[in-house]
Amino acid sequence: LCRGGLAERLCRLQNRERSAISFWRHQCISDDKTPSDKSDVLIVKILEIFEECTIQVAICQQLEQSPVALSPEDAVISAEEPILKVLFTRETAAHLKSRPQDVIHIYPPWQKLLLQNADVPVIMNTYFSQKVLLSEHSEAREKTHGLTKMLIKKNIISLAQTFRLDDLDDKLHQEPSDNQVACAPQIHNNSDSKQHPLALSAVNDSLLEMVESQGAVGWREVQVRVVIQRVYCLPAREGCRSHTQGNKPLCATPVTNSDPPNVRLCLLVQDAYGMFSEVQLQFLSSTDDIEQYCGRWEGKSCCLAGMKILQRTTRGRALGLFSLIDSLWPPVVPVKVPGQSQDSEMMSTNLPPPSFCYILTVQSGEIHVEVDEEEQISNLYQPPAVHGLKEILRINGCNERCSFWAQVLYQRLQTKHNVPIDQRDTLLFVTDSTLQNVVHGIPKVVAVSVTASCVLSMEVREALSAGSRLVFFKDALWGNGRIICVERTVLLLQKPLLCWAAAADLSELTGPVRLDELDSTTQANSVCALRGTVVGVNESTAFSWPTCDRCGNGKLELCPQDRELLYCNQCSEVVTTPVLKMQLEVFLSCPSRSQSTVKVKVWHEITLFVLLTMLLFLQTYEVQSVLGKEVGLLNCYVHSVTSHPNCVALEEIVLL
Amino acid sequence: STLPAVAEELLREIRKAFQESSHVPDDLLLGLKFIFGPCAVPALDLVDQRSVTRVRSPSGRTLYQVLGSSGKLYTCYSSCHFCTCPAFGFSVLQKSESLLCKHILAVYLSQAMGACQELSVSEEQLSNILLAEEEDEG
Repeated sequence: LCRGGLAERLCRLQNRERSAISFWRHQCISDDKTPSDKSDVLIVKILEIFEECTIQVAICQQLEQSPVALSPEDAVISAEEPILKVLFTRETAAHLKSRPQDVIHIYPPWQKLLLQNADVPVIMNTYFSQKVLLSEHSEAREKTHGLTKMLIKKNIISLAQTFRLDDLDDKLHQEPSDNQVACAPQIHNNSDSKQHPLALSAVNDSLLEMVESQGAVGWREVQVRVVIQRVYCLPAREGCRSHTQGNKPLCATPVTNSDPPNVRLCLLVQDAYGMFSEVQLQFLSSTDDIEQYCGRWEGKSCCLAGMKILQRTTRGRALGLFSLIDSLWPPVVPVKVPGQSQDSEMMSTNLPPPSFCYILTVQSGEIHVEVDEEEQISNLYQPPAVHGLKEILRINGCNERCSFWAQVLYQRLQTKHNVPIDQRDTLLFVTDSTLQNVVHGIPKVVAVSVTASCVLSMEVREALSAGSRLVFFKDALWGNGRIICVERTVLLLQKPLLCWAAAADLSELTGPVRLDELDSTTQANSVCALRGTVVGVNESTAFSWPTCDRCGNGKLELCPQDRELLYCNQCSEVVTTPVLKMQLEVFLSCPSRSQSTVKVKVWHEITLFVLLTMLLFLQTYEVQSVLGKEVGLLNCYVHSVTSHPNCVALEEIVLL
Repeated sequence: STLPAVAEELLREIRKAFQESSHVPDDLLLGLKFIFGPCAVPALDLVDQRSVTRVRSPSGRTLYQVLGSSGKLYTCYSSCHFCTCPAFGFSVLQKSESLLCKHILAVYLSQAMGACQELSVSEEQLSNILLAEEEDEG
């Protein structure tokens, strides 16, 4: 204990008090005399007893004089006698064993405390208390009472009842209950929160102000008005958390068969001060709605309420989010500057791009986003700037968001086997008129990598597999000479209503699509066209097999009845005219890349080359017959390009 | 209930007395002992050693951190009576034997006597303090 400190002082006082108490008690027992009528002695009659923590609280009536002189029948409770609340410590109470109707003499030093809002005074420090026995009858009663155990009511004190030390005028320690971490049960009760003086309709226009004043607990009554700049879906990181809405079992179905249930609808919003925030809304059960939400919500104003802060993120930690924010900077209309008077000459061009962003989420199961769909598009809205692919390839920067409208020619799934199907990247080969109409210098077809974090709707997936489609790529990322679709990129089948086209309408391609021809600059994982002469055949890998002409089933069986015929299990019928599929690797000599050995795997049954080759090959089984044959323009996917040995391995493909 | 009002009044008296004379009279100290029992002396000791810190964040969230005698830092909430020390869990929550633990009493006494240290932290840091308590209890 600190020397000279309060604790040391109390220790000394306490020791003194303790010895006084024991001395006094000892004296009372040994003397066994009724105490003299001192004026400082409090004489009380107990009416009611209860317990709080270890303190015994006795509601008593103060008696004018000792009732010893009176008979028990005369000691009637008089209405004028004042009521007191007398407190006893556990130890004193055990010593007294008091019961209602008992008379207690309380000797000094006792303390009287007057409470602020109560009429009844409280008596404390009642160590020197003694029960007074009235008469012999009482003695007998006392003995019998002593045998039966009396049950005393115990009040449990609520933890929510805190102490206010300051006066009403002194606001030093006053803290509004809303800002505190909720631990008192009343905060969860919605009806109680209406005590707050602010009405629900108070609408603010500053995200920062709302975040800083309301804290992480949430905004209960206030709304913020913002403009929705972008709508997109984000894959949920914690894929196993169940949500109130989705009852779908989280089983490992391949992505091609069903929508993943763990995709969140998100908004990138901007307030009147130019500040951005990403708002994560509910989980979507079907990603098909994303196109609808984009169309109905982007550019509109909305009011946010009942949000809570998930995270405050910075540029360095959320590159993807900030690349999107940068594409929307500077704002197209002047924004308000906090703290300054709002005049129309505010310059927004000098403002630096934001360095932090709050990520908000919905507080409870309900959504508190009110979008005024009927309203006009806000002036603050910046629709995606659409460029031709030619222009995009010429962008100098890195991590730039770009939007374009292109035709998808071919789709290829990444073949890494240790990665689950729904997390593999897809390569889309796309082109548009700006690339097709060029003679030299830039590729005719560009590869766009779609990562697993870019959420594709079922509609888009089906469209990509079905046929050549025009797809709108919104907010794809350009960097290091590649276009990639990542989080916050949205692929849409319909051109958005409002977008800024840098040039004329880019959607229509005139004439058939042409690929770049195979040459010395061809790289792996690209597509090209080639022509050449067959110089060799890889006999060891060549094989053919029949397929059902109705359903394409490649596992046909021999008919049990007639072993000359083929039977298809899926159709449950005999296959009379099977389609022969063949896989063959040929070596070509291509004048456009004469130094390399060109190895092409052909396995589609459609091209003329294959048909001819196959027929010849199967019938004659002689490699000689195919050697020297000219191969027309073949569309191929480049598997690999090696320099030692100088070899290009390709696979014939069919464009969508 | 009676006891909380009594405790509050006692603490107010202490504050008033301290404001007027920078001194706490003996009878109020004994009153502390009467009401709070075995907590009183340890709580005063914590005040003597300036062990109580009020931690504030820009949004206005507040909590108190008390450096216990063992060197461990306990967190006390300001909106309700709660402390992360084991004695609180036992005496107050489980047994309802005490109104407070020595740390919470030390917080009030430090408030009354202006002995709180002040610390301003960011929102994140405050959240981390609260979350750290959660992990310990788990």
